[in-house]
Amino acid sequence: MRRAFLGRVAEMIRNEPDTTFFTVDIGMWAIRDVLKYYPDRCTNVGIYEDGMFSIAAGMARRGLVPTIFGIQPYLIERTLEQIKMDFAYQKLGVNVVGTGAAIDYSRYGYSHYCAEDVQLIKMIPGCEFVAPGSAKQFLQLFNESYRDGHPTFFRVSDHPNTKYDVDVTFGKANIIQQGNKTTVIVVSVMLDEVMKVCEGKDVTVLYYTTLEPFDREALANNCPTDKILVVEPEYEGSLLYDIHASLPGRALQIEHVGFPHEIFRNYGTYEEKMEHYGLTAKNTREMLNKFI
Amino acid sequence: MQEISKTLRKEALYLSHKCQDGNLQSVFSCLDIVWTLYDKMMNWSPEKALDDDRDFFIISKGQATLALYPVLIEKKMFTMKEIESEIGTFNSRYCIQTDLTKFQGGIENNAGSLGHGLPFAVGIAKANKIKNSPSQVYVLCGDGEFCQGTMWEACIFAGSKQLDNMCLIIDDNDSVGAMVSLGDMCQKLAAFGFDTRSVDGHNMYELEKTFIELKELKNGKPKAVIAHTVRGYGSKTMTDHEIWFHKAPNEEELELLTKEVEAF
Repeated sequence: MRRAFLGRVAEMIRNEPDTTFFTVDIGMWAIRDVLKYYPDRCTNVGIYEDGMFSIAAGMARRGLVPTIFGIQPYLIERTLEQIKMDFAYQKLGVNVVGTGAAIDYSRYGYSHYCAEDVQLIKMIPGCEFVAPGSAKQFLQLFNESYRDGHPTFFRVSDHPNTKYDVDVTFGKANIIQQGNKTTVIVVSVMLDEVMKVCEGKDVTVLYYTTLEPFDREALANNCPTDKILVVEPEYEGSLLYDIHASLPGRALQIEHVGFPHEIFRNYGTYEEKMEHYGLTAKNTREMLNKFI
Repeated sequence: MQEISKTLRKEALYLSHKCQDGNLQSVFSCLDIVWTLYDKMMNWSPEKALDDDRDFFIISKGQATLALYPVLIEKKMFTMKEIESEIGTFNSRYCIQTDLTKFQGGIENNAGSLGHGLPFAVGIAKANKIKNSPSQVYVLCGDGEFCQGTMWEACIFAGSKQLDNMCLIIDDNDSVGAMVSLGDMCQKLAAFGFDTRSVDGHNMYELEKTFIELKELKNGKPKAVIAHTVRGYGSKTMTDHEIWFHKAPNEEELELLTKEVEAF
């Protein structure tokens, strides 16, 4: 996904003179040519995310299309006031592409984790949050939204789906399958795991890669029971408001497969963490069995 | 004090009285700077307020937005009648801090949270370079804002990207002196690659001369003017009493302060 993004950046910088790109000191090798030949618009700025965001907002104020690349917690948490004041309040657009997802830097500790990213961005009106499940989906979603004038946050994961790589549309959920016994909302890179369990079962599977704006219509039209299982690679409950707003007046029974709301003090591999916190097909099956 | 300085201060006092809010000490300390920029320096007029190549004035010390309204009234961008009738009211365009999304020109940024305006202005200046635009950027900051890390981050970027199309003006009314010592700001900013000047921020002639001199220096260095000012300058009551840091005048106080300004 990272490689696809950086390839797209190189193409954008070469062909679109109103675009700018700033990396906060990562990914330089992949774009060394554009860094060298377009130093005015393509820069490794150094490690200062908050000031960089305000600088990018100034560029957006002048009609440029800035894209910033860095590590998710620093792009979102250190800069929360810049996102609110400089972009959302002033109605200026930027593309913010973050690596690390929730726990990709699994051995680096809590400083590098960002399971709260979805909730933080959804709190600021006007922001968009995109969590592609594959490189192809990243490009589809980026190409649709990168000039839409909103602050758009892209969560780039190093652990994409490999089996289920459907075409996606910005702002729309995919109906992977329709069934009668429950609805499974699956987010981003969790689709492969979920389909190990749901394929062939009498359940609806809705696949979300745009988390803000949330496709309420898809859920409203595809929820035959009041039972919903949410499988999300972020803090569990990050989509609760949208789910309730999609189905007003319904007494919903909701179960979650997601990261628990706690500080992660363990290390190990990505797979070990996913196993530990139950973001697995096994746990998804157990949760689903409560419903069907 | 020049007549225009008195007029601007009286208008700011009146608007503060009308909306019953404001940071008048801070407004009075920077009014002469803002006027000099709009009257003498900037390629700007109400007719050019949306021109792509206009000069930009960014107010980083948003608490002094009441200094901007009188200047824009005198420059015929807005009318006193309009502002006085609605300032601070529920659906107004005008308040203590300003929202550019409510305007078609005249207001260039949303301020209020300190430490944002300078990096925002730096972004505009860099964009002007990319666009090959002659637009100049003037950004007014408070000395107190330099406690924020984003200010220094912006200085690193401006210096290393050689943004000689921007001018930082520090309204140095010694607000930070009560908290920490910033030391010699000219020396500090010079170390970040700025051309710096230190001036009397209430002497319009000196301000103009300095701005012109700096604008002509096309040497790849961003410019910085440390303007030494006095909080509440133009009213003895306001300079002597700290309560005017954040206080709006009632009828009686409005009359008293207006008289002081007239006699200054």
